[in-house]
Amino acid sequence: MKKALSLLLALTMLFALAVPSAFAADAEKTELIVFAAASMTETLNQIKELYEAENPDVTLVYNFDSSGTLKTQIQEGADCDVFISAAPKQMNQLDASKDKEANPDGLDFVLQGSRINLLENKVVLAVPEGNPKGIESFDQLAELLAAGDVFLAMGNSDVPVGQYTQKILAFYGLDEEELAKAGSVTYGTNVKEVTTQVSEASVDCGVVYATDAFSAGLDSVDAATAEMCGQVIYPAAVLNVSANPEAAQAFLDYLTGPEATEVFEAVGFSAMTKEAEAETEPAPEVSPEATPAA
Amino acid sequence: MSFDWYPLWNSLRIAAISCVLVFFLGIFFAYYAARLPRAVKGMLDVILTLPMVLPPTVCGYFLLLIFGMKRPLGIFLLKFGIKFVMTWYGGVLAASVVAFPLMYRTARGAFESFDQTLAYSGQTLGLSNTYIFWRIRMPACRQGILAGTVLAFARALGEYGATSMLIGYTPGRTATISTTVYQLWRTNDEKGAMFWVLINLAISTVVLLTVNMLEARQKKAVKA
Repeated sequence: MKKALSLLLALTMLFALAVPSAFAADAEKTELIVFAAASMTETLNQIKELYEAENPDVTLVYNFDSSGTLKTQIQEGADCDVFISAAPKQMNQLDASKDKEANPDGLDFVLQGSRINLLENKVVLAVPEGNPKGIESFDQLAELLAAGDVFLAMGNSDVPVGQYTQKILAFYGLDEEELAKAGSVTYGTNVKEVTTQVSEASVDCGVVYATDAFSAGLDSVDAATAEMCGQVIYPAAVLNVSANPEAAQAFLDYLTGPEATEVFEAVGFSAMTKEAEAETEPAPEVSPEATPAA
Repeated sequence: MSFDWYPLWNSLRIAAISCVLVFFLGIFFAYYAARLPRAVKGMLDVILTLPMVLPPTVCGYFLLLIFGMKRPLGIFLLKFGIKFVMTWYGGVLAASVVAFPLMYRTARGAFESFDQTLAYSGQTLGLSNTYIFWRIRMPACRQGILAGTVLAFARALGEYGATSMLIGYTPGRTATISTTVYQLWRTNDEKGAMFWVLINLAISTVVLLTVNMLEARQKKAVKA
Protein backbone atom coordinates (compact mmCIF):
# COMPACT_ATOMS: atom_id res chain seq x y z
CA MET A 1 0.00 0.00 0.00
CA LYS A 2 2.77 2.38 0.99
CA LYS A 3 4.69 1.61 -2.17
CA ALA A 4 1.64 2.22 -4.32
CA LEU A 5 1.01 5.54 -2.56
CA SER A 6 4.58 6.76 -2.97
CA LEU A 7 4.53 5.78 -6.62
CA LEU A 8 1.31 7.70 -7.09
CA LEU A 9 2.80 10.73 -5.34
CA ALA A 10 5.89 10.62 -7.52
CA LEU A 11 3.79 10.39 -10.67
CA THR A 12 1.61 13.30 -9.53
CA MET A 13 4.65 15.50 -8.96
CA LEU A 14 6.06 14.56 -12.36
CA PHE A 15 2.75 15.43 -13.91
CA ALA A 16 2.74 18.75 -12.11
CA LEU A 17 6.11 19.49 -13.68
CA ALA A 18 4.92 18.55 -17.13
CA VAL A 19 1.77 20.61 -17.17
CA PRO A 20 3.32 24.11 -17.10
CA SER A 21 5.50 23.30 -20.11
CA ALA A 22 2.37 22.29 -21.96
CA PHE A 23 1.10 25.79 -21.41
CA ALA A 24 4.42 27.34 -22.30
CA ALA A 25 4.10 25.77 -25.72
CA ASP A 26 1.61 28.57 -26.26
CA ALA A 27 4.58 30.93 -26.23
CA GLU A 28 4.10 31.68 -29.90
CA LYS A 29 2.13 34.62 -28.56
CA THR A 30 3.82 37.88 -27.80
CA GLU A 31 3.39 38.88 -24.20
CA LEU A 32 3.17 42.61 -23.59
CA ILE A 33 3.70 43.74 -20.03
CA VAL A 34 1.97 47.02 -19.26
CA PHE A 35 2.59 48.90 -16.04
CA ALA A 36 -0.27 51.34 -15.57
CA ALA A 37 -1.58 53.64 -12.88
CA ALA A 38 -4.19 51.99 -10.67
CA SER A 39 -6.84 54.45 -11.84
CA MET A 40 -6.75 52.80 -15.25
CA THR A 41 -7.71 49.35 -14.00
CA GLU A 42 -11.26 49.16 -15.30
CA THR A 43 -10.66 50.86 -18.64
CA LEU A 44 -7.52 48.97 -19.53
CA ASN A 45 -9.15 45.66 -18.64
CA GLN A 46 -11.92 46.47 -21.07
CA ILE A 47 -9.42 47.51 -23.71
CA LYS A 48 -7.49 44.28 -23.17
CA GLU A 49 -10.48 42.29 -24.37
CA LEU A 50 -10.91 44.47 -27.43
CA TYR A 51 -7.22 44.48 -28.28
CA GLU A 52 -6.66 40.76 -27.79
CA ALA A 53 -9.69 40.02 -29.96
CA GLU A 54 -8.21 42.10 -32.77
CA ASN A 55 -4.67 40.86 -32.19
CA PRO A 56 -4.86 37.19 -31.23
CA ASP A 57 -1.08 36.80 -31.23
CA VAL A 58 -0.69 39.29 -28.38
CA THR A 59 -1.36 38.70 -24.69
CA LEU A 60 -1.54 41.73 -22.42
CA VAL A 61 -0.27 41.37 -18.89
CA TYR A 62 -1.09 44.23 -16.55
CA ASN A 63 0.50 45.49 -13.37
CA PHE A 64 -1.73 48.12 -11.74
CA ASP A 65 -0.41 50.12 -8.82
CA SER A 66 0.50 53.63 -7.81
CA SER A 67 2.72 55.25 -10.43
CA GLY A 68 5.42 55.82 -7.82
CA THR A 69 5.59 52.13 -7.01
CA LEU A 70 5.62 51.20 -10.70
CA LYS A 71 8.44 53.64 -11.38
CA THR A 72 10.45 52.07 -8.56
CA GLN A 73 9.79 48.60 -9.92
CA ILE A 74 10.94 49.65 -13.39
CA GLN A 75 13.99 51.27 -11.87
CA GLU A 76 14.78 48.04 -10.03
CA GLY A 77 14.71 46.11 -13.29
CA ALA A 78 11.20 44.76 -13.64
CA ASP A 79 10.26 43.50 -17.09
CA CYS A 80 8.01 46.04 -18.70
CA ASP A 81 7.08 47.10 -22.21
CA VAL A 82 4.71 50.02 -21.72
CA PHE A 83 4.41 52.44 -18.80
CA ILE A 84 1.42 54.70 -18.25
CA SER A 85 1.76 57.06 -15.33
CA ALA A 86 -0.93 59.14 -13.59
CA ALA A 87 1.31 62.19 -13.55
CA PRO A 88 4.22 63.52 -15.61
CA LYS A 89 6.43 63.38 -12.51
CA GLN A 90 7.00 59.63 -12.51
CA MET A 91 7.50 59.47 -16.27
CA ASN A 92 9.96 62.34 -16.08
CA GLN A 93 11.97 60.45 -13.49
CA LEU A 94 12.57 57.74 -16.07
CA ASP A 95 13.07 60.03 -19.06
CA ALA A 96 16.69 60.72 -19.98
CA SER A 97 15.69 63.76 -22.00
CA LYS A 98 14.58 65.56 -18.84
CA ASP A 99 16.87 67.73 -16.79
CA LYS A 100 18.36 66.87 -13.41
CA GLU A 101 15.49 68.44 -11.52
CA ALA A 102 12.84 66.27 -13.12
CA ASN A 103 15.07 63.20 -13.37
CA PRO A 104 17.35 63.35 -10.30
CA ASP A 105 18.71 59.83 -10.67
CA GLY A 106 19.47 60.28 -14.34
CA LEU A 107 17.49 57.22 -15.33
CA ASP A 108 17.01 56.23 -18.93
CA PHE A 109 14.08 53.93 -19.44
CA VAL A 110 11.82 55.81 -21.79
CA LEU A 111 12.18 54.97 -25.46
CA GLN A 112 12.73 58.40 -26.96
CA GLY A 113 10.09 59.40 -29.44
CA SER A 114 7.44 57.10 -28.03
CA ARG A 115 6.27 59.30 -25.17
CA ILE A 116 2.85 60.89 -25.52
CA ASN A 117 0.33 62.54 -23.25
CA LEU A 118 -2.42 60.01 -23.36
CA LEU A 119 -5.23 61.13 -21.10
CA GLU A 120 -6.44 63.85 -18.85
CA ASN A 121 -8.28 63.21 -15.62
CA LYS A 122 -9.86 65.28 -12.93
CA VAL A 123 -9.24 65.17 -9.20
CA VAL A 124 -12.48 65.05 -7.24
CA LEU A 125 -13.70 64.94 -3.68
CA ALA A 126 -15.61 61.71 -3.18
CA VAL A 127 -17.93 60.89 -0.32
CA PRO A 128 -19.49 57.65 0.91
CA GLU A 129 -23.07 56.77 0.10
CA GLY A 130 -25.42 59.19 1.79
CA ASN A 131 -22.64 61.70 2.47
CA PRO A 132 -22.93 61.32 6.27
CA LYS A 133 -20.74 64.30 7.00
CA GLY A 134 -22.55 66.52 4.50
CA ILE A 135 -19.44 67.68 2.70
CA GLU A 136 -20.26 69.74 -0.36
CA SER A 137 -17.05 71.25 -1.65
CA PHE A 138 -13.29 71.51 -1.38
CA ASP A 139 -13.74 74.92 0.26
CA GLN A 140 -15.87 73.36 2.97
CA LEU A 141 -13.40 70.50 3.33
CA ALA A 142 -10.63 73.00 3.94
CA GLU A 143 -12.63 74.64 6.71
CA LEU A 144 -13.43 71.30 8.31
CA LEU A 145 -9.79 70.22 8.12
CA ALA A 146 -8.64 73.43 9.76
CA ALA A 147 -11.16 72.81 12.55
CA GLY A 148 -10.08 69.19 12.88
CA ASP A 149 -13.62 68.11 12.24
CA VAL A 150 -13.29 65.68 9.38
CA PHE A 151 -11.48 62.45 8.49
CA LEU A 152 -9.97 62.52 5.01
CA ALA A 153 -8.39 59.69 3.03
CA MET A 154 -5.67 60.65 0.58
CA GLY A 155 -2.88 58.97 -1.33
CA ASN A 156 0.57 59.10 0.27
CA SER A 157 3.32 61.27 -1.13
CA ASP A 158 4.48 58.58 -3.55
CA VAL A 159 1.09 58.36 -5.23
CA PRO A 160 0.18 60.91 -7.95
CA VAL A 161 -3.31 61.50 -6.56
CA GLY A 162 -1.68 62.06 -3.17
CA GLN A 163 0.66 64.58 -4.74
CA TYR A 164 -2.29 66.39 -6.33
CA THR A 165 -4.01 66.38 -2.93
CA GLN A 166 -0.93 67.92 -1.35
CA LYS A 167 -1.12 70.71 -3.91
CA ILE A 168 -4.79 71.26 -3.05
CA LEU A 169 -4.00 71.40 0.67
CA ALA A 170 -1.22 73.89 -0.01
CA PHE A 171 -3.63 75.92 -2.16
CA TYR A 172 -5.82 76.34 0.92
CA GLY A 173 -2.85 77.11 3.09
CA LEU A 174 -3.21 73.96 5.18
CA ASP A 175 -0.16 72.28 6.73
CA GLU A 176 -0.28 68.61 5.89
CA GLU A 177 1.96 67.62 8.79
CA GLU A 178 -0.27 69.42 11.27
CA LEU A 179 -3.28 67.65 9.84
CA ALA A 180 -1.51 64.31 10.06
CA LYS A 181 -0.53 65.00 13.68
CA ALA A 182 -4.12 65.82 14.47
CA GLY A 183 -5.19 62.51 13.00
CA SER A 184 -7.38 64.14 10.35
CA VAL A 185 -5.85 62.36 7.38
CA THR A 186 -5.23 58.73 6.64
CA TYR A 187 -2.96 57.57 3.84
CA GLY A 188 -3.61 54.98 1.17
CA THR A 189 -0.82 53.41 -0.85
CA ASN A 190 -2.63 53.84 -4.14
CA VAL A 191 -5.78 55.49 -5.42
CA LYS A 192 -7.80 52.26 -5.30
CA GLU A 193 -7.11 51.89 -1.60
CA VAL A 194 -8.37 55.42 -1.00
CA THR A 195 -11.44 54.71 -3.15
CA THR A 196 -12.19 51.56 -1.19
CA GLN A 197 -11.89 53.37 2.11
CA VAL A 198 -14.47 55.88 0.89
CA SER A 199 -16.79 53.16 -0.46
CA GLU A 200 -16.57 51.29 2.82
CA ALA A 201 -17.42 54.52 4.66
CA SER A 202 -14.30 54.05 6.76
CA VAL A 203 -13.59 57.75 6.24
CA ASP A 204 -15.71 60.88 5.82
CA CYS A 205 -14.36 61.66 2.35
CA GLY A 206 -11.45 61.01 0.03
CA VAL A 207 -9.60 62.69 -2.81
CA VAL A 208 -9.54 60.45 -5.86
CA TYR A 209 -9.83 60.78 -9.61
CA ALA A 210 -13.18 61.37 -11.30
CA THR A 211 -12.73 58.07 -13.11
CA ASP A 212 -12.26 56.12 -9.88
CA ALA A 213 -15.29 57.75 -8.31
CA PHE A 214 -17.30 56.87 -11.40
CA SER A 215 -16.11 53.27 -11.55
CA ALA A 216 -16.78 52.72 -7.86
CA GLY A 217 -20.17 54.41 -8.03
CA LEU A 218 -19.18 57.10 -5.57
CA ASP A 219 -20.66 60.57 -5.32
CA SER A 220 -18.12 63.21 -6.21
CA VAL A 221 -19.21 66.49 -4.69
CA ASP A 222 -16.55 68.75 -6.12
CA ALA A 223 -13.80 68.77 -8.74
CA ALA A 224 -10.43 70.45 -8.32
CA THR A 225 -9.58 73.18 -10.80
CA ALA A 226 -6.29 73.42 -12.64
CA GLU A 227 -5.47 76.34 -10.37
CA MET A 228 -5.69 74.12 -7.31
CA CYS A 229 -3.65 71.15 -8.42
CA GLY A 230 -2.60 71.64 -12.00
CA GLN A 231 -3.69 69.60 -14.97
CA VAL A 232 -3.90 65.89 -14.37
CA ILE A 233 -2.04 64.46 -17.32
CA TYR A 234 -1.34 60.78 -17.92
CA PRO A 235 1.78 60.30 -20.04
CA ALA A 236 2.43 56.95 -21.70
CA ALA A 237 5.57 55.57 -23.26
CA VAL A 238 7.29 52.45 -24.54
CA LEU A 239 10.31 51.53 -22.43
CA ASN A 240 13.70 50.99 -23.99
CA VAL A 241 14.07 47.77 -21.99
CA SER A 242 11.06 46.33 -23.77
CA ALA A 243 11.51 42.93 -25.37
CA ASN A 244 8.90 43.78 -28.01
CA PRO A 245 9.17 47.46 -28.85
CA GLU A 246 7.18 47.22 -32.12
CA ALA A 247 4.31 45.37 -30.49
CA ALA A 248 4.47 47.81 -27.59
CA GLN A 249 4.29 50.79 -29.93
CA ALA A 250 1.39 49.19 -31.77
CA PHE A 251 -0.49 48.89 -28.48
CA LEU A 252 0.32 52.47 -27.58
CA ASP A 253 -1.02 53.61 -30.96
CA TYR A 254 -4.16 51.59 -30.33
CA LEU A 255 -4.68 53.44 -27.05
CA THR A 256 -4.94 56.72 -28.94
CA GLY A 257 -7.36 55.22 -31.44
CA PRO A 258 -11.17 55.56 -31.52
CA GLU A 259 -12.14 52.31 -29.78
CA ALA A 260 -9.82 52.87 -26.82
CA THR A 261 -10.80 56.53 -26.59
CA GLU A 262 -14.43 55.53 -26.36
CA VAL A 263 -13.68 53.25 -23.41
CA PHE A 264 -11.65 55.93 -21.65
CA GLU A 265 -14.17 58.70 -22.15
CA ALA A 266 -16.99 56.49 -20.89
CA VAL A 267 -15.59 56.63 -17.35
CA GLY A 268 -14.57 60.27 -17.40
CA PHE A 269 -11.08 60.46 -18.92
CA SER A 270 -10.44 63.04 -21.64
CA ALA A 271 -8.27 61.84 -24.48
CA MET A 272 -5.47 64.23 -25.27
CA THR A 273 -4.65 64.73 -28.92
CA LYS A 274 -1.45 62.99 -29.90
CA GLU A 275 0.95 65.89 -30.22
CA ALA A 276 4.70 65.63 -30.23
CA GLU A 277 5.14 65.24 -26.43
CA ALA A 278 3.44 68.40 -25.25
CA GLU A 279 4.99 69.37 -21.95
CA THR A 280 2.13 70.87 -20.02
CA GLU A 281 3.34 72.96 -17.13
CA PRO A 282 1.36 72.08 -14.02
CA ALA A 283 0.19 74.90 -11.78
CA PRO A 284 3.22 76.62 -10.19
CA GLU A 285 4.53 74.47 -7.35
CA VAL A 286 3.00 76.19 -4.35
CA SER A 287 4.90 74.18 -1.79
CA PRO A 288 7.73 71.70 -1.84
CA GLU A 289 6.94 68.05 -1.24
CA ALA A 290 5.84 67.63 2.34
CA THR A 291 6.42 64.05 3.38
CA PRO A 292 3.74 63.01 5.87
CA ALA A 293 4.79 62.75 9.52
CA ALA A 294 6.39 59.38 9.98
CA MET B 1 9.65 68.51 13.88
CA SER B 2 9.85 66.29 16.94
CA PHE B 3 10.19 62.66 16.05
CA ASP B 4 6.96 60.75 15.95
CA TRP B 5 7.23 57.85 18.42
CA TYR B 6 3.59 56.98 18.12
CA PRO B 7 4.08 53.78 16.08
CA LEU B 8 6.25 52.32 18.86
CA TRP B 9 3.78 53.11 21.61
CA ASN B 10 0.85 51.97 19.47
CA SER B 11 2.44 48.68 18.40
CA LEU B 12 3.44 47.79 21.96
CA ARG B 13 0.03 48.72 23.26
CA ILE B 14 -1.78 46.67 20.62
CA ALA B 15 0.55 43.69 21.08
CA ALA B 16 0.28 43.74 24.87
CA ILE B 17 -3.52 44.00 24.98
CA SER B 18 -3.94 41.38 22.26
CA CYS B 19 -1.55 39.09 24.09
CA VAL B 20 -3.54 39.32 27.32
CA LEU B 21 -6.85 38.82 25.52
CA VAL B 22 -5.56 35.90 23.53
CA PHE B 23 -3.93 34.36 26.60
CA PHE B 24 -7.23 33.99 28.40
CA LEU B 25 -9.28 33.15 25.32
CA GLY B 26 -6.69 30.64 24.17
CA ILE B 27 -6.47 28.67 27.37
CA PHE B 28 -10.24 28.89 27.81
CA PHE B 29 -10.89 27.29 24.45
CA ALA B 30 -8.00 24.87 24.77
CA TYR B 31 -9.31 23.59 28.07
CA TYR B 32 -12.98 23.31 27.12
CA ALA B 33 -12.52 22.16 23.54
CA ALA B 34 -11.03 18.93 24.85
CA ARG B 35 -14.31 18.13 26.57
CA LEU B 36 -16.55 18.47 23.54
CA PRO B 37 -17.95 15.53 21.56
CA ARG B 38 -15.71 14.40 18.72
CA ALA B 39 -17.65 15.89 15.84
CA VAL B 40 -18.08 19.32 17.37
CA LYS B 41 -14.50 19.35 18.55
CA GLY B 42 -13.20 18.75 15.05
CA MET B 43 -15.29 21.50 13.50
CA LEU B 44 -14.51 23.98 16.27
CA ASP B 45 -10.84 23.19 15.99
CA VAL B 46 -10.85 24.00 12.29
CA ILE B 47 -12.64 27.30 12.81
CA LEU B 48 -10.41 28.35 15.67
CA THR B 49 -7.22 27.51 13.78
CA LEU B 50 -8.36 29.10 10.52
CA PRO B 51 -6.89 32.59 11.09
CA MET B 52 -3.46 31.03 11.38
CA VAL B 53 -3.74 29.32 8.04
CA LEU B 54 -5.50 32.05 6.10
CA PRO B 55 -3.40 34.83 4.63
CA PRO B 56 -3.59 37.90 6.87
CA THR B 57 -5.20 39.90 4.08
CA VAL B 58 -7.98 37.34 3.86
CA CYS B 59 -8.49 37.67 7.61
CA GLY B 60 -8.52 41.44 7.22
CA TYR B 61 -11.09 41.18 4.45
CA PHE B 62 -13.35 39.04 6.62
CA LEU B 63 -13.02 41.46 9.51
CA LEU B 64 -14.04 44.28 7.17
CA LEU B 65 -17.00 42.25 6.00
CA ILE B 66 -18.14 41.86 9.58
CA PHE B 67 -17.19 45.15 11.19
CA GLY B 68 -17.13 47.51 8.19
CA MET B 69 -19.04 50.76 8.53
CA LYS B 70 -21.59 49.69 5.97
CA ARG B 71 -22.25 46.32 7.56
CA PRO B 72 -25.05 45.66 10.05
CA LEU B 73 -22.72 44.88 12.93
CA GLY B 74 -20.51 47.86 12.20
CA ILE B 75 -23.48 50.21 12.11
CA PHE B 76 -24.88 48.69 15.30
CA LEU B 77 -21.63 49.05 17.22
CA LEU B 78 -21.26 52.63 16.07
CA LYS B 79 -24.38 53.46 18.05
CA PHE B 80 -22.35 52.68 21.16
CA GLY B 81 -19.45 54.69 19.84
CA ILE B 82 -17.46 51.56 19.01
CA LYS B 83 -15.77 51.60 15.63
CA PHE B 84 -13.25 48.91 14.79
CA VAL B 85 -12.41 50.42 11.41
CA MET B 86 -9.70 53.11 11.43
CA THR B 87 -9.14 53.01 15.19
CA TRP B 88 -6.26 51.71 17.28
CA TYR B 89 -8.39 49.19 19.08
CA GLY B 90 -9.40 47.84 15.68
CA GLY B 91 -5.75 46.91 15.54
CA VAL B 92 -6.21 44.95 18.77
CA LEU B 93 -9.07 43.05 17.13
CA ALA B 94 -7.02 42.25 14.03
CA ALA B 95 -3.94 41.21 16.02
CA SER B 96 -6.01 39.10 18.42
CA VAL B 97 -7.72 37.25 15.59
CA VAL B 98 -4.45 36.26 13.94
CA ALA B 99 -2.59 35.54 17.18
CA PHE B 100 -5.37 33.50 18.78
CA PRO B 101 -4.72 30.21 16.95
CA LEU B 102 -1.09 30.27 18.05
CA MET B 103 -2.03 30.48 21.73
CA TYR B 104 -4.91 28.05 21.30
CA ARG B 105 -2.91 25.33 19.58
CA THR B 106 0.09 25.60 21.86
CA ALA B 107 -2.08 25.59 24.97
CA ARG B 108 -4.04 22.64 23.71
CA GLY B 109 -0.85 20.75 23.04
CA ALA B 110 0.38 21.57 26.52
CA PHE B 111 -2.90 20.53 28.13
CA GLU B 112 -3.07 17.31 26.20
CA SER B 113 0.37 16.27 27.38
CA PHE B 114 -0.59 17.10 30.95
CA ASP B 115 -0.44 14.16 33.31
CA GLN B 116 -4.08 13.71 34.29
CA THR B 117 -3.17 11.76 37.41
CA LEU B 118 -2.03 15.03 38.95
CA ALA B 119 -5.53 16.42 38.46
CA TYR B 120 -7.08 13.26 39.85
CA SER B 121 -4.85 13.44 42.90
CA GLY B 122 -6.02 16.97 43.45
CA GLN B 123 -9.61 15.87 43.22
CA THR B 124 -9.11 13.08 45.72
CA LEU B 125 -7.69 15.74 48.03
CA GLY B 126 -10.94 17.64 47.64
CA LEU B 127 -9.55 20.60 45.73
CA SER B 128 -11.87 22.68 43.57
CA ASN B 129 -11.65 22.53 39.80
CA THR B 130 -10.61 26.13 39.63
CA TYR B 131 -7.79 25.48 42.07
CA ILE B 132 -6.72 22.43 40.12
CA PHE B 133 -6.69 24.40 36.91
CA TRP B 134 -4.77 27.44 38.06
CA ARG B 135 -2.48 25.86 40.67
CA ILE B 136 -1.83 22.41 39.26
CA ARG B 137 -2.55 22.25 35.55
CA MET B 138 -1.25 25.67 34.56
CA PRO B 139 2.07 25.44 36.39
CA ALA B 140 2.60 21.93 35.01
CA CYS B 141 1.99 23.22 31.50
CA ARG B 142 3.96 26.36 32.12
CA GLN B 143 6.47 25.89 29.33
CA GLY B 144 3.89 25.29 26.65
CA ILE B 145 1.76 28.17 27.87
CA LEU B 146 4.74 30.49 27.97
CA ALA B 147 5.77 29.46 24.47
CA GLY B 148 2.25 30.10 23.24
CA THR B 149 2.15 33.51 24.90
CA VAL B 150 5.45 34.55 23.37
CA LEU B 151 4.34 33.41 19.94
CA ALA B 152 1.08 35.29 20.33
CA PHE B 153 2.87 38.47 21.43
CA ALA B 154 5.34 38.25 18.57
CA ARG B 155 2.56 37.64 16.05
CA ALA B 156 0.52 40.52 17.39
CA LEU B 157 3.54 42.84 17.28
CA GLY B 158 4.37 41.88 13.73
CA GLU B 159 0.83 41.88 12.38
CA TYR B 160 0.56 43.79 9.13
CA GLY B 161 -1.95 42.55 6.54
CA ALA B 162 -5.15 42.40 8.55
CA THR B 163 -4.17 45.49 10.52
CA SER B 164 -3.50 47.53 7.38
CA MET B 165 -6.82 46.58 5.85
CA LEU B 166 -8.89 47.20 8.95
CA ILE B 167 -7.31 50.31 10.41
CA GLY B 168 -5.33 51.75 7.52
CA TYR B 169 -2.51 54.18 8.20
CA THR B 170 -3.40 57.32 10.12
CA PRO B 171 -0.33 58.95 11.62
CA GLY B 172 -0.82 59.57 15.31
CA ARG B 173 -3.93 57.42 15.47
CA THR B 174 -3.56 53.99 13.93
CA ALA B 175 0.05 53.79 12.74
CA THR B 176 1.90 50.67 13.91
CA ILE B 177 5.55 49.85 13.34
CA SER B 178 4.73 47.48 10.50
CA THR B 179 2.40 49.85 8.65
CA THR B 180 4.82 52.72 9.22
CA VAL B 181 7.73 50.78 7.74
CA TYR B 182 5.62 50.01 4.68
CA GLN B 183 4.53 53.62 4.24
CA LEU B 184 8.03 54.98 4.69
CA TRP B 185 9.36 52.50 2.17
CA ARG B 186 6.63 53.39 -0.32
CA THR B 187 7.39 57.09 0.04
CA ASN B 188 11.11 56.45 -0.42
CA ASP B 189 12.10 57.33 3.14
CA GLU B 190 14.76 54.62 3.39
CA LYS B 191 16.32 56.05 6.56
CA GLY B 192 12.99 56.22 8.32
CA ALA B 193 12.05 52.70 7.31
CA MET B 194 15.41 51.32 8.44
CA PHE B 195 15.08 53.09 11.78
CA TRP B 196 11.80 51.36 12.55
CA VAL B 197 13.13 48.03 11.32
CA LEU B 198 15.96 48.30 13.83
CA ILE B 199 13.58 49.25 16.62
CA ASN B 200 11.47 46.21 15.87
CA LEU B 201 14.58 44.01 15.82
CA ALA B 202 15.58 45.41 19.20
CA ILE B 203 12.19 44.68 20.76
CA SER B 204 12.06 41.17 19.32
CA THR B 205 15.58 40.42 20.55
CA VAL B 206 14.77 41.63 24.05
CA VAL B 207 11.60 39.53 24.17
CA LEU B 208 13.34 36.39 22.96
CA LEU B 209 16.29 36.85 25.31
CA THR B 210 13.91 37.29 28.24
CA VAL B 211 12.04 34.15 27.32
CA ASN B 212 15.24 32.16 27.00
CA MET B 213 16.36 33.44 30.37
CA LEU B 214 13.07 32.41 31.97
CA GLU B 215 13.28 28.96 30.42
CA ALA B 216 16.87 28.50 31.56
CA ARG B 217 15.93 29.53 35.07
CA GLN B 218 13.07 27.10 35.07
CA LYS B 219 15.26 24.24 33.86
CA LYS B 220 17.69 25.03 36.67
CA ALA B 221 14.88 24.91 39.20
CA VAL B 222 13.71 21.56 37.90
CA LYS B 223 17.21 20.12 38.08
CA ALA B 224 17.74 21.31 41.64
